[in-house]
Amino acid sequence: MHTFLFRTILAAMLALAASAGGIAAARAESAATIPVLAPLTGFLALEGASQRNGALLAFHHHPSIVIRSETVDTGTSPEGAVNAFARILRTGPPTALVAPMLGTQMLALLPAAAEAGVPLVTVSGTAEITERGNPWVFRFFPGDAVVKTAQARYTVEELGRRRVALVHQTTAYGQSGRRHLLAAFAGLGAEVVFEEALAPAVRDMAPVLTKLRAARPDVLVLQLHAEPTARLIRQAAALGLGLPIVAGSAMHQPATAALLEPAELSGVCAESGASPISGGSPAMDRWVADYRARFRTEPDAFALAQYDGVSMVLRAVRAGAASGAEVRRRLASEVYEGLAMAYRSDGRGNMAHDAVILCYDGRDRTPRVVRRYVDVLKNG
Amino acid sequence: MTDLLQLILSALSLGSTYALVALGFVLVLNATNAVNFAQGEMVVAGGFLAVALSPLIDLPGVALLPLVMLGTAALGLLLSLAAYLPLRTRPPTAVFISTIAFGIIVQNAVLALSGPEPATASALVAAGSTRLGEMAIGWQSLSMIATAAVLVALMHLLLERTQLGRRLRASAQDPEIARASGIPVVRLIVVAFALAGALAGAAGLLVANQFFLSPADGANYMLKAYIAVVIGGWGRVWGAVLGALLIALFESFVASLAGHLAADALLYVALLAVLLLRPTGILGEAVGRRA
Repeated sequence: MHTFLFRTILAAMLALAASAGGIAAARAESAATIPVLAPLTGFLALEGASQRNGALLAFHHHPSIVIRSETVDTGTSPEGAVNAFARILRTGPPTALVAPMLGTQMLALLPAAAEAGVPLVTVSGTAEITERGNPWVFRFFPGDAVVKTAQARYTVEELGRRRVALVHQTTAYGQSGRRHLLAAFAGLGAEVVFEEALAPAVRDMAPVLTKLRAARPDVLVLQLHAEPTARLIRQAAALGLGLPIVAGSAMHQPATAALLEPAELSGVCAESGASPISGGSPAMDRWVADYRARFRTEPDAFALAQYDGVSMVLRAVRAGAASGAEVRRRLASEVYEGLAMAYRSDGRGNMAHDAVILCYDGRDRTPRVVRRYVDVLKNG
Repeated sequence: MTDLLQLILSALSLGSTYALVALGFVLVLNATNAVNFAQGEMVVAGGFLAVALSPLIDLPGVALLPLVMLGTAALGLLLSLAAYLPLRTRPPTAVFISTIAFGIIVQNAVLALSGPEPATASALVAAGSTRLGEMAIGWQSLSMIATAAVLVALMHLLLERTQLGRRLRASAQDPEIARASGIPVVRLIVVAFALAGALAGAAGLLVANQFFLSPADGANYMLKAYIAVVIGGWGRVWGAVLGALLIALFESFVASLAGHLAADALLYVALLAVLLLRPTGILGEAVGRRA
């Protein structure tokens, strides 16, 4: 009896030790190097900070994985991103890279990432980054092909507007959005009666507003970064422009809305991949609360999309992907149910396919989701 | 006609802030014969100081003006002590670089303290607008122009009607003779930096409501001040004000006719034309050596 008991205890201890060893081994295997490159200074600092925060929160929510990471500010120049990436490569190729959301930086990084075999996980909206046949890029924010289609469809189909004034940025983001908006409006039979490109540094919006008013549009469509979006909306309100405004995703950011008075936001809508602060599910509410507590700021769709993107990478790592090539294979072939939406690659690295339209009612700065477009390109 | 008046009002409101920045730029230029490349970041510092003070003091923005100007005057004083005086006997490039470095430090300090979000301060007097026929007149635009005009007038009085102003002008014209006459030239240089900081801070408060501010905006204001001084006349106090207003009007009208991209490009064409055809600027050059 004693011998049996002794053997049983011994077997249990051995099993426990083996299982502990297994867990330790599994923990040792679940390690990843994921540097974060984001534009934290310059005209995209606001969006870049959201991108960084989303990635860091995803790291924080996966404590079982040993993550080696550093955050590097890429500024707003392509060479800033390329130099940062070259420096990271000196210590060996990372498992994946949170790549800057600035389109021009992404375009510069693509060849280097392909050469080094590093998956780029980004929230850049610039369409071209997934149009160059590079299999190493994965975009978790819906690209312009998705959100601009939703923006144009809402303008024409829901608001019933057909005389469009389009004001866009001169940057890659603005040019890319312009191209897709023009195509979408042409497809919907709407006429673009006014169009102008603005540099991000333009302060005085009176010239563009007076000119567009003369073209007699019935809607103003924007493809501007955050600060110029708010600047144009404020000055349009002061001039009494009186047109509905359907803005790009920069408008959905709480920091953009915070620049404006609620009354100035009346009649303003915007496209986005999601709107975390608008709520939607208990999981989203918990995530928003956690984000606020950790970063003491309001989350936006860029933060959420980057969170989902990094979470998908970490799921791949936990499932055994240890190299860039293995992570890339999983990102390219698997479906991931994120907080914002379900992500799957379209074969070119576009992971996000849904878009929402948000509108402000003029009473506060929290937008309401008024229309959700699921799998925009597939469903037409 | 309505559109024309609208454009003028808007351009003058922005131009009046350019004028304050350029005025401070010229004060330092005249006092030191050196270009202060941190002047743009002083605008940002003033704007963000106003943003920080706005929720604490439940008064219109104009009430914050003295506090903001005092704060950025202190920053100007620090600039002179840290980035100019220790290097004033070195070649001019040393001062250029030290003021650029100081500006970058200010920019990053603002970024660290306030975060990357663009910010807005309280309206100077009131938000909203009133209508004059079909024309919408923003209270903020009007109050920006009025505030800048008062500050420029006060600077004029200071420079023309006070002992301090006479000493500042004397040491700007010939520092050696001024020193020989017992004028404390170094102290006046510090005063010039402080005045330049105060004017830049006021400009920051003025633009923060209608045009917003980001930590990285300083370079744009610095560039506009530099162009204003080149066009108005290197070292000319009134030339800087005139140049600033001309830049804003030029940008506004060309943008309304040919678009903002053309306005941007043509501004630099105009600058080149001034340099080629009238290198001393519209009012002529006051400082012998151009930086």
